[in-house]
Amino acid sequence: MNALAAALPQILPALRGNLLVGLTLAVVTLPQAIAFSTTLAGLPPHFGIYAAIWGVLFTALLNPSRVFSGGPNTTMSAAVGITLLPVAPQYGTDYIGYALTLILLAGLIQLLFALIRPLGRMLDLISEPIIDGMICGIGLFLVFKSLTTFAGLPVNTEVEWPLWIAWHSFLAVLEFGNLYAIQIGLITLVASLVARQFDALRKWAILIGVAAGTSYSAYLGSTVGLENTMVEQIGNLGPVGFVFPSLPVFNQEALPNIISILPGAVTLALLGLFQTVAAMRRMSRKIGAFTDSRKGIFSDAVSNCLLPLLSSLPTCASFNRMWLVYSMGGNSRVTSALSAFFLLLMVLFLAGVIAIIPMPAMAAIIMLLGVNMIKWEDIRPHLRDRREAVVFLASFLSVLFLDLFGAVVVGSILAIAYSKWEQANPKVSLRGNVLKIRGNIYYGSLPVIESTYHQAIARVDNLVIDFSDCYYIDPEGLRWLAAAKAGHNVGFVDRRAGPDRRAQAEALDRRDGEERRSAEADARRDRRQGEERRENLRRRTRDRRQRSEF
Amino acid sequence: MAALPKKLLRVALIVSVLGGLYLLALERHAERDRMRAAAVELTPGCKAKLAGYALAPGDVYSSPYVRRMSNAWITARGYSAEDVRAIERGCNIFDDLQGHLAQDASERWYARRFVRGSHTTCDHCHQSIGDKQDAAGNRLVGSNSMAASWVMADMYDRFTGLLLPHELRQMQCYINSSNGFKPNAADDLMRDVTAYSRFLSAALDMKIGNHYLEQGIAEIPASATLKRGDDYVRGAYLFKEKCAGCHGPQGLGIVVDGKAVYPAVAGPNAYSMDSRMNFAMVNSVMPGFICRNMPPGAEGSLENQDCRDIAYYLGTLPRAAGDRQGPLVAAWQQLMMTVMPPLTRYAESLVGNRPLHDAD
Repeated sequence: MNALAAALPQILPALRGNLLVGLTLAVVTLPQAIAFSTTLAGLPPHFGIYAAIWGVLFTALLNPSRVFSGGPNTTMSAAVGITLLPVAPQYGTDYIGYALTLILLAGLIQLLFALIRPLGRMLDLISEPIIDGMICGIGLFLVFKSLTTFAGLPVNTEVEWPLWIAWHSFLAVLEFGNLYAIQIGLITLVASLVARQFDALRKWAILIGVAAGTSYSAYLGSTVGLENTMVEQIGNLGPVGFVFPSLPVFNQEALPNIISILPGAVTLALLGLFQTVAAMRRMSRKIGAFTDSRKGIFSDAVSNCLLPLLSSLPTCASFNRMWLVYSMGGNSRVTSALSAFFLLLMVLFLAGVIAIIPMPAMAAIIMLLGVNMIKWEDIRPHLRDRREAVVFLASFLSVLFLDLFGAVVVGSILAIAYSKWEQANPKVSLRGNVLKIRGNIYYGSLPVIESTYHQAIARVDNLVIDFSDCYYIDPEGLRWLAAAKAGHNVGFVDRRAGPDRRAQAEALDRRDGEERRSAEADARRDRRQGEERRENLRRRTRDRRQRSEF
Repeated sequence: MAALPKKLLRVALIVSVLGGLYLLALERHAERDRMRAAAVELTPGCKAKLAGYALAPGDVYSSPYVRRMSNAWITARGYSAEDVRAIERGCNIFDDLQGHLAQDASERWYARRFVRGSHTTCDHCHQSIGDKQDAAGNRLVGSNSMAASWVMADMYDRFTGLLLPHELRQMQCYINSSNGFKPNAADDLMRDVTAYSRFLSAALDMKIGNHYLEQGIAEIPASATLKRGDDYVRGAYLFKEKCAGCHGPQGLGIVVDGKAVYPAVAGPNAYSMDSRMNFAMVNSVMPGFICRNMPPGAEGSLENQDCRDIAYYLGTLPRAAGDRQGPLVAAWQQLMMTVMPPLTRYAESLVGNRPLHDAD
């Protein structure tokens, strides 16, 4: 107790800066949690709320990153709904049981990714333009997705091409949206946008927006009457208590169904990990910090193994809420824990106030978050380089035309193809009798080198291959070099071996005309110094040739 | 101080854009209201159908059909003028979704944009405007009756076990024939079609929650044949012989003056690959439909196996991809729909008018 009292003066200032961020986070997470569980996953609303409480808390405790913020997630919730659609009727007891099993399986698969290091490292191959493309795509997607709720219309839950749906949702809003809902949404948007323009109110903008929307909705309720406005509200969360233990289904009758949802579990696990790793890396760089992605994977995996025991949706990083914490300048570990705490308090004690928050106001806030995720400062650097621009656009468009998974696959294939192309095209130049290779010597780049090499040996007598700018030579490259040496009596230059290679490299750059002389000197020294090395190489090649004859 | 006007400008810009959208929304809402208040010009089919059921605004409704068929005098709550207009609009959509029979085709703009191509109307599958009867007025088994469909609304779907509201069941029809998007469940289109279906069930005195044999298509599974296997080559032969006269040699339909006289059963104007009418999707629905309803005037003249063969052949013809099949399949199907008809025409010109099979 005394220790706590002593620690308080240090803890309190840290808390004070994050209190508002935590409160905003809680207010923003709540409608998302309810919407994700009911409209996407086909589960009762308390699943989303518990994910926003326990999922956020577990990841905040387990993940050391200062930018990570977990909780319920759009794509993961949608994946739960899509996977279980053929298995059982939504909202039913069986369905809930299978949902818990599915989440547990996904958690166990994620645990494998945490334990087997190369598997986890595979997730690092997602490059920055891919992530930024995904972020922009998700931002737009959030705007589109909120359109129907913004206008008090039913949500289309079918999975289709989002852009077409977006256009027709927009027309639906214009033509027969609930005008009261639209007014509430617009007032929320305008209040929040105006508040953002004043530095003193900037952090309060979202709360001000929600408050304005809720007051207008309450005003409409008292003048026109809720039965006439027909505006949907969050509603009574009274039944949601402190904790709601649950057990995944696992018995002999359920086994065939559990086996049938295994591919869905793999997808669910990967969707979560992709987002966690990508979001953590992107946001860590923004604040100039580094956290090993393995820790993120581990915290997600453990959380997702525990959450099915607490009636909760799965958790993973949330781009939009991490943006929120980042833009408000909070420390996400503290704010996440605070937000979980606030949410618990709100659900337990303020259920009456939450109940009258109108859904259109919530949709307006989610739209704002979506727009804020598209930042020109982040996009511009990618557009400068043609390759990055292509990867960025591919990832961005894939989110809109395919899905998140498709964006990762298309973007990764493009990025890996580009880097492989780079490696397979070393710069080979012939100056005098020196053939200089800048890049890798490996099976992929050898044909490029060979084409210049064979032109060179036809013209020049004593050819010298300078591979001081090579940083990787694979066994095939070694064999080719050995064969070249043996067959055409070429000399090798590797300035990395010499004692004064830096000075020589500088001199080489300065005096182009003297290249040849310097290279010959290098070749002489190389012959002298590397006699033993070459002898070894020759012996190894010979040995191998003899072995292969057997 | 330069920052403040800039901020003001930004706020003004945002507010004016949002305000402009709001004004646009008000204008579009007014357009919808005008549509709801306007008197409805019925198609000839609808005029006959609704007059036969004595649809009119009033406090009570009593169906002449029930009186005629069962000598019972049943009254139900009547319809307001607004209800009647909704039912009439729904009937028009059923009979003539494309607006071919309307004064101005744009009258049905709110329905037509959700349906692919220029042929499809609900009446093609839900024949006789969703209420098929024989000459004596008996309703027909497996005739896709909308009245029987409405009374099963909000029941559990037998395929998925989900609670399926009528609006969502209707949505599946738009998925099957739509061009990439389907209406919002709150759209007037859904309400009007639901109002019409509901009126039919009242006029025919069908009871909610009951399963009537008029619902759906009397399917023909392989077990209803001699099980010698389906054969699309034979199906192609039968199609040429029995169907191509109306539906065209490649099932692309016959269009006169921009109006589909005989609807397409393949190509961009027909149902999509995701439809249950597609043999590759559900292989018992289309055969059932053919045997029940085709060819008009000689219904029931085809054997079960004939219908399965014809449906199998139709399933091999190129048609648009379903919405859930993604952009790649859609692009491939588009290519097939573009390339295959001229190729087939060329190949058939080589064969000439000789029959495909030599009668041994």
